[in-house]
Amino acid sequence: MPGDPVLIEADDVSKVYRVGEVSVSALKSVNLRVARGEFTAIAGPSGSGKSTLLNILSGLDSPTSGRVSLAGTPISGMGGRALSDFRRDHIGFVFQAFNLIPVLTVLENIEYVLLLQGVSRHDRRERVREMLSTVGLEGMEDRRPPQLSGGQQQRVAVARAMVSRPDLILADEPTANLDSATGGALLDLMRELNERRRMTFLFSSHDRMIMDRAKRLVVLKDGSLVQDVTRNGA
Amino acid sequence: MPFLIKMAWMNSFRNARRTLLAGLAIGIGLAALIFTDGLMIGMSDSIVRIATDTFMGHGQVHAKGFRSTRDVARVVKGLPGVLERLRADPEVERFSLRVQTPGMLASPATSGTVLLYGVDPGLERPFSRVDEAIVEGSFLKRKDRRKILLGSKLAEALEIGLGDRVVVTAAEAESGELAQEMFRVGGIFHFDVRELDGGVGFAHIEAVQRLLGLPGEVHEIAIHFKSFSGNEAADAGFRSRFSRDGNEARSWRELMPQLSAVLDMSGFSSLIVGIILFAVVSLGIVNTLFMSLHERMFEYGVLRAVGTRPGRMAMMILFEVGTLSLFSILVGCCIGFVVTFLYSVQGIDYTGIEFAGVTLKEMIYPVLRLEQFVLFPMCVFLFTLVAGIYPAMYAARLKPAQAMKAYE
Repeated sequence: MPGDPVLIEADDVSKVYRVGEVSVSALKSVNLRVARGEFTAIAGPSGSGKSTLLNILSGLDSPTSGRVSLAGTPISGMGGRALSDFRRDHIGFVFQAFNLIPVLTVLENIEYVLLLQGVSRHDRRERVREMLSTVGLEGMEDRRPPQLSGGQQQRVAVARAMVSRPDLILADEPTANLDSATGGALLDLMRELNERRRMTFLFSSHDRMIMDRAKRLVVLKDGSLVQDVTRNGA
Repeated sequence: MPFLIKMAWMNSFRNARRTLLAGLAIGIGLAALIFTDGLMIGMSDSIVRIATDTFMGHGQVHAKGFRSTRDVARVVKGLPGVLERLRADPEVERFSLRVQTPGMLASPATSGTVLLYGVDPGLERPFSRVDEAIVEGSFLKRKDRRKILLGSKLAEALEIGLGDRVVVTAAEAESGELAQEMFRVGGIFHFDVRELDGGVGFAHIEAVQRLLGLPGEVHEIAIHFKSFSGNEAADAGFRSRFSRDGNEARSWRELMPQLSAVLDMSGFSSLIVGIILFAVVSLGIVNTLFMSLHERMFEYGVLRAVGTRPGRMAMMILFEVGTLSLFSILVGCCIGFVVTFLYSVQGIDYTGIEFAGVTLKEMIYPVLRLEQFVLFPMCVFLFTLVAGIYPAMYAARLKPAQAMKAYE
């Protein structure tokens, strides 16, 4: 959002994969600034580099060249342990599927990140209950993921992503495995959280619903950023 | 930590059949180790018991240098004092006095060599199994000064039988002059031990002392202890108490070094087999863990993505290995105990089999001991943890993006 401090800075980011003898450029000198509180979608056809960009911005993958900073901290050169701690404290993730650990209950799935942060048991339980209430899953603490619908599982994933109050929530194709009604409801929930709590959301998707709801749309094609549109009315 | 343990426990039983099979494989390996150890102990005990009870005893006292030279002039020094100490020793159950000499044994038909033992019938009868081994005739009596007992093979070679006369020729201790003594065959024994059946004879101790010109002297005191552990610490105590005043005390290990070596080698062989067994099982564990790891790659990717440190990932895998290991140990100990216990009651028939010169004459009863259920499980636990290090390192080094990409 114009005027808000910059949260993500990606400068000249490139990623080259080597497949045998062949080099594939997944990203080509991408520059991107994302401000706090944005609700941004990275769109583009399959193979355009959306997920690669999302992974690099979140420190799940490293760029071949270029620089990425999150909340003013350069993450491109961080080591495994430091990067794990950084992700734990600053980024929440929602993936398209297999998001949750099936042997853990809903409560345990959500509190896992808090556990890693060393939050006390009492505070963990309180914050998990608050998040479950926020995503509309009160009373489901003791269920395990296989006992939930796809939409409920994604809500749990959103609750897990938000419970540590991160700077940024990254969602990679979050609606890919949901029917349109469930997907729409999930996106509405995320949008509401974005507006109410000023949380920054960054999506990677080619789902029309996400693109329609995004306040900013970044389009990638063949690894290059080809369009960057901010929509005031969205 | 409890969270990790809970996850490891639950993950271990996500694929119950695989965990069960892997646990069973390790458990059977452990059970085999417990049983083999029990059998080896039972067999060793039996062999040592047969070897010591047959004739040798648990230990012997000789004059220094007698065993290496077989010089009949080297008799036990200060015999009355030694006997007094033996009678006063709380660990000594009984002993037998013997003289021995190599000699020529002539029958009416032919002649051959013999190792002639002079024994005290009253002391020897309860001490060794010579009496039990008599197949024809009877054991020596107190007044049987002219009776000789011969091994079955020796009697066969000399073409003699019960009641026949034989002449023993041996060198006198002091002068070295040849001396002769006539005996009548009063018994034929069969131990099923080549050395004894084919080359040994027993006569009254006084007759052999007279033949050698050694009245009242002995070459050998064979001893039975009250509680015979057969361990080296007990041997050392015996040696230190009786190796003095020109005599030397030897334990069964030194008297039958070849048997001791074979038993030690058997123990070492068991160790090698155990290591190979667990190396193979470890490869199975690594395989199982990798299968499980690849099945849950996306989950591991998610765990890494949300901030799980590499070390914690490794711990998670090691806890899972630990869970599998504990389950396997429980299975292995149960199977091992049941099988070993059943055979320790029923016994295994090895009779007639010769081992390091000792022919087994009784059932072998595997022995259960605490170490099998403490030391071996600890080894299994350590082995499996070591086997788990590689998959744990692999999980710790997982790059979250690659882990999740691989299973999209």
